[in-house]
Amino acid sequence: MRHASDAVLRRLVDEPFAVPDATFEHVSGCRRCRARRADVAGDAGQAGRLLTAPQLVADVDLGWEQLGRRLEREGGVPSARPAARRRRVATRISGRAGIAAGVAVFALVGTAAATTIDNVFAPTHVASLTINQDDLRMISGLVDFSESATTDGFPTAAGSGSLPFGTLHWSSVGAAQKMDSLAAAEAVTGLRVTLPTRLPKGVGAPTVFTVQPKVSATIDFGPTAGHLSGSSIVVTAGPAVFVGYGSRAGDPDVPTLAVLDMSRPTATARGATIAQIEAFLLSQPGVPAALAEEIKLLGDITTVLPVPTPAGMVSHSVQVGGAPAVAVATSSGLASGVVWEDAGGIVHVVGGLVDQRSTIDVADQIG
Amino acid sequence: MVKLGSSPNQSAREEIPDFEAFFREHYRSVVRLAASVLGDFHAAQDVAQDVFFAAHTRFHGDVDRAPGWVRIAAVHASLNRLRGDRRRDRRHELTAVSEAVAGPEDSVLERETRAELRQALGRLSSKSATVLVLRHGGMSYVEIAEVMEIKVGQVGTLLRRAEAALSKEMHHASRV
Repeated sequence: MRHASDAVLRRLVDEPFAVPDATFEHVSGCRRCRARRADVAGDAGQAGRLLTAPQLVADVDLGWEQLGRRLEREGGVPSARPAARRRRVATRISGRAGIAAGVAVFALVGTAAATTIDNVFAPTHVASLTINQDDLRMISGLVDFSESATTDGFPTAAGSGSLPFGTLHWSSVGAAQKMDSLAAAEAVTGLRVTLPTRLPKGVGAPTVFTVQPKVSATIDFGPTAGHLSGSSIVVTAGPAVFVGYGSRAGDPDVPTLAVLDMSRPTATARGATIAQIEAFLLSQPGVPAALAEEIKLLGDITTVLPVPTPAGMVSHSVQVGGAPAVAVATSSGLASGVVWEDAGGIVHVVGGLVDQRSTIDVADQIG
Repeated sequence: MVKLGSSPNQSAREEIPDFEAFFREHYRSVVRLAASVLGDFHAAQDVAQDVFFAAHTRFHGDVDRAPGWVRIAAVHASLNRLRGDRRRDRRHELTAVSEAVAGPEDSVLERETRAELRQALGRLSSKSATVLVLRHGGMSYVEIAEVMEIKVGQVGTLLRRAEAALSKEMHHASRV
């Protein structure tokens, strides 16, 4: 077979499923093509890093006001309606971002986990949110428990922590526990979990089945929260089932692939709108400005699921079972993951020490 | 959507809600694309305003085909502006870019790198710079092909050449 063209190698980086299987197999087995692919991926990664630097957030209301005035002045068009925030004054939203999705993605790539603060910026379709260790450290600093305690989500099944603007309480129906089988995990959580029948090379049988009961976190805003004083927001996530796969060769306990299914989180606010709480939390001095800008850029918080993507990873949009998904991979291609939400409101995460094509293939079997 | 046979005033009133919804959905991403070229937030907003004004004239309330158009128009307008700025005062442009995108966390090195990026983008061909900005602004190959009016298969070729050229330009800049 002929060597792959530069165009094909480039598309392989972004949209591997758009490349014929025969070409993919050739590239996998051809030293020359692999080396060229590495060059192509390197240049693509550099361009991505340069061109996706954090930007300031445009004020849509102000922008529309300016355009409306100009249209009226120069275009002879009747005045546009007064600018008004289109975000729904939702006292209850279905949130699809959340603790488990964040924790799972970070766990997949061996980084620290998400904290609880950004989960209110919830969600309806997936979008990548670049986040780095400094972001995590700064956000963790807002909550009065140590960074290491957040690595596995909440430090205990129930408890509280103080915030500069109020109090955080969390509680779980029970502690996370390992189960003997998938059936047992399904029975405990009520979730129906689909596992792949065709596994990537090197991935062995499932060795770990863990369930996380439903978790609720409440932020009560205190007097230091200004106009939000007395209001609260409750974020509920889970239950979730985590399935870990071992290695086919060597130690079967070495994790190679993980599948996580979780009921989508929901957020309920009292005394304030989600948008008001979002604006308040993003303006806190402990929240990194670049991260706040990224979150604002996601747009309407009632429709976007932020998938935390560690800085330096390559992310792109794919479709899984007809649903939009975020695929992330390390620049080396050694580890990757896919996150999406199905029509039934279940957030799925697939990831592991396999390439992006493999995790997308597994996701397609599940989705 | 403007209805055939309606009076001009009636049309204008009817098209505004559709256009406002379109504006609200796409304004931030258009500003972001422009900012990724210009590195100047205020200039990017100016470009976005011009682009949406032109889009209103061009598409009125029929905005189905407008999302791709406003994106490529923003990139082209930004590249033109970048090149115009460089012609007028290259040194000033470099300084302005460095300061314009600087956040509190930005290191001097990052600011210099971004300034070098603007210069490199300005030296690339318009087609190369456009495909780079669109792809890394989040558009798919199919979307890029549509707005650039090329075949999908050409996107990879263009993108590869553009990224290789950018890499070369950045490497050259780092050695100067």
